[in-house]
Order: sequence, then structure tokens, then C-alpha cells
Amino acid sequence: MTNQEGVLVGTGAMPAEGPIAAIAEMLGDGYGPAALLVEAPGERFETRISEGDAGQSGSVTVKSGATATLVERIGVSGSRLRPFLPTYAKIEIEPGATLHRIIVQANSAPAGERDAAIVLNEAVVKLGAGASFRQFVVAAGSRLTRIETSVTADEGAVVEMNAVYLAAAHRHVDLTSRVAHAAPGVHTRQLVRGVARKGGRGVFQGKFLVERAGQKTDAEMAHNALLLEEGAEVFAKPELEIYADDVACAHGNTAGQIDEDAVFYLRQRGIPDIDARAMITRAFLLEALPDWMDESLRTEVEAQIDAWLGGAS
Amino acid sequence: MLELNNLHARVVPEDGPSREILKGLSLAVPAGEVHAIMGPNGSGKSTLSYVLTGKHGYDVTAGSATFDGDDLLSLAPEARAAKGLFLSFQYPLEIAGVPVMTFVRAAMNSQHKARGEPEVSAPEFLKLSKLAATKLRIDPDMLKRPLNVGFSGGEKKRLEIYQMLMLEPRFMILDETDSGLDIDALKVVAEGVNALRGPGRGMLVITHYQRLLDYIKPDRVHILSAGRIVKSGGPDLALELEKSGYDQFLKVD
Repeated sequence: MTNQEGVLVGTGAMPAEGPIAAIAEMLGDGYGPAALLVEAPGERFETRISEGDAGQSGSVTVKSGATATLVERIGVSGSRLRPFLPTYAKIEIEPGATLHRIIVQANSAPAGERDAAIVLNEAVVKLGAGASFRQFVVAAGSRLTRIETSVTADEGAVVEMNAVYLAAAHRHVDLTSRVAHAAPGVHTRQLVRGVARKGGRGVFQGKFLVERAGQKTDAEMAHNALLLEEGAEVFAKPELEIYADDVACAHGNTAGQIDEDAVFYLRQRGIPDIDARAMITRAFLLEALPDWMDESLRTEVEAQIDAWLGGAS
Repeated sequence: MLELNNLHARVVPEDGPSREILKGLSLAVPAGEVHAIMGPNGSGKSTLSYVLTGKHGYDVTAGSATFDGDDLLSLAPEARAAKGLFLSFQYPLEIAGVPVMTFVRAAMNSQHKARGEPEVSAPEFLKLSKLAATKLRIDPDMLKRPLNVGFSGGEKKRLEIYQMLMLEPRFMILDETDSGLDIDALKVVAEGVNALRGPGRGMLVITHYQRLLDYIKPDRVHILSAGRIVKSGGPDLALELEKSGYDQFLKVD
């Protein structure tokens, strides 16, 4: 594959692509520029897709010494016009380089109404030695939304993959990820927080694979969900698969209801019930927001969460 | 100010049978007075504080509770708070991700809104907060941290009184506020509480021990046993209890 300047990008062994990649490539007409080559520090790229658009696929290469931010906006409006939104990104982060990737998947269809959108997003990420990949996803789901990230990390790489999902009625949101620790000393952190209302479904599938060569892997995975109403659904499948014997791997998974004693504490101080619940839920979700996100993106994500807690879809 | 008449209440756990805890409790705290409630474990002290503030899981089966003549029991917890009822919790809750000041400001503005009063401006709020923190010797950095998360038992109790000073309630219930406090912290907390004593305010101090009452001097002392007040008296009653224990009064029951 070549970029617009004709420079060869995306060579070397990549993690296996999934079916979303094939669909996006088949239906796609490019991913912003068909291939991004980042050579300077501080570059920022944004892509956008919504109903009516063609699928998107492409590759991103971040050269050694470069840092880049990639923002992908997926906007579901509830339109019936070509409601199929596949995206595939093949990402290579060369040794010592850093990529920040933010996916903002919003749904502006009226609350409580079904939309037709099928959102499929797949990224296959190859991290060189000492490279960093920091990803944050906020997803409100749709008829079917699946955001899938597969990472293969080389020696001393740093992976962070936090996410927040917001599953209102008739919304399905699936966050699936896989991190292969293929060499020694990879540091991985994943914190996923989600909420679901009646008729909404959240799915978290997270896998950490530590290969035989992955000694001194330091990896932590946590998924915590709040079921806000009777009839909300959350499915979680955290997996650790470890073939090395000198690693620190941990995972935690909880799904439950809001702590009524905490709600009472806030109400005793005069905060109305609905505000008390929103305050506790908001704080629970915001803990997954990474500190590396810039102010404007953070504000955007917080606004999306606040709108959702206020009754939007 | 606060009048309880023949109050019967049961605790209704999510699993398991309900149990009657308060069995005909009558009590009147006039404005301007501080009353202490003492009693052994299981006598219903904490249940009383929860019933008065409207916690879920407690059912009032008979009797009445009024505040300034208005029925208290039909009001939501937040409406009772807006009327000026404040509970200093025996075990303050940890609220992850909500900084102390954000929380107290939200509480203050919610109460003001409910009472039709204007919001407190940010500079005014900061001024009040600084005053309260200084009075209670609270490190200002603590007020930026999430509410009670990782705080020691003593810090949590101090923070309850900080909230009390900020919200300026008209009636305060102190549930075992002395537990978890060393003697120096106890003095600081008592000073904070005493600062709120006044002709328009009432207070119910729930405690096991006489110690707290050395610093927060009550006008009346009541002994609670098996869900009922079995004896009432002046401040001397607490001293008598400290000397000879609860047994002599429980026999009355």
C-alpha cells in the first residue's frame, strides 16, 4: 500500500484482520486520505462517518519519533439512508512513536426510538518497541454497534485502552479488544466503564494474550458496569491467556446497581433523587476518561455523557 | 421544633423478615435546645436517625414526627434537608469521583433552589468554605479530593461537620459523631458543632458515651432502650450513666 506521496507504508507483519476489515474495504472509498503517513510530532487527523456515507478503510503509519492524534467521529442520526457504517484502520506505530486515538460514537436519534444503523469499526494496531498507543472510545451504540481493536505490542510498548459506553433503550454497543503481548516488558492498562438502561445492551469482550516471549508484562484490565434500570443488559467476557511465567496480570469485572446508600447520602444533603443518581453515575463514568485527552475533546465527551444522563439516547 | 409522638418503625431488609425497632418513641426538642440520646447497642439509636431523615428500608407503622408542626414523614429526604434537617452520619459514605467542594456546592444550591433562595456565588462559596475549613483545621487540599474516598475515620467525621457548617441546618442529628475521633479532634469537632448552637436551632446528639457531652453540653438527656425512651433528665443523667451503666435503667423496661 502507498500513501499519496507514493511512500510505502504499512509493511511488516500485522495482526490478522477480521471480517469488518473485509467489509469496509469492499464498501469503502478511502479513509480520509487512503493512507496517512505521520512523520512530524503533534499531527492531528480527523475522520467522520454517518448514515449515507460509504465505508472507510485505510492505513496509518506513525514513524519513529512522531506523535499523532487520530479522532474518528461516528455519528448516528437515525436516518434510514444507507445505514451501514463500516470503518477499518490498519495502524502501525513504529518504535518510539506515539498515537492517541479517540473514537466518539454518538447517536442523535430520538431517545426510545429504534435506529437502523449498523456501526462496525475495526482497527488492527501494530506497536513497535517502546511505542505508545493510547485509545479512548465513547460509544452510545445503535441498532448494532461493534468497535473492535486488536493490538500486537513489541518490547517495552505502552498500551492504554479506556472506554465508556452508554446503552439506552434499543441500543446495542459492543466493545471488543485484544492485546497480544508478544515481547517482554509491555505495559497495558484498560479501564472500561459502562451504563445501560432498560432495553439497552452493553457488551465488553476484552482479551489479554501474553505470549511465551512476553515476560515482565504488566497488564491490568477492568470493566465495571451500572445497570440503571430493571431490564438493562450487560454482557462481559474478560479473558487472560498467559504463556509466560513472570508477569503481573490482573482483571476485574463488575456489573451492578447504583449504591442506594450513596444516593441517600446525597439526598440527605438536599440533592434531588434524579440529580443524585446522575451525579454518582457521571463520576463513575468520568473515571475512565484519560488525562492525556485535550481540553476540547474532554469537554465534548463530558457533554455527550451529560446529555445521555439527562435523557438523550 | 421536633416532636415525635408514639413513633413505631420497622426495618425492612431486602432479604429477610422485617423487625420492629422503634416501639412507641415520644420526644420533643424545642428550638434552641440540645438533647442527647444515649442507649446500649441495638436500642434503636441509628434507626431513629434514619427514620427522621427518610432512608429507604425503614417503615413507620404508627405515630407521628413533625418539624415546626409540619409532618416530616411524608416528605422525600431532599425535602427534609431543604427544611433544614441534617444528619451527621455514623458511617459517612464514600462517593468516588465527586470532589468535596463540588458536592457541597451542589447540595447548597439544591437546598437554596428548593427554598426559593438565590444561588450562592462562587467567590462567596469559597469564602464560606475557607472559613469552615480553618475552623475545623481541615487541609484545603482535602476539599478537592473525592468525597470521603481514602479518608480516615476521623477525617470523615470532621468533613461531616464541615458540611454542617456550610449548609447551616436548623436541626442537626449527630449519630455517634465521637466514634473514630481522638481527643484533640473531638474538641475541634465539638467547637464546630457549638458554633451552630443558637435560639433558632435544635440538635439531637446520639452517643454511647458521656465523653462527647463534656464538650457539647446537652439541655436534656434521654435514655433509649428497646425502641422507647425509658428515662429523661438533665445533664446529670449522663454522668450517672457513665458511673453506673445502663443496667439500672433497663430494668425499668
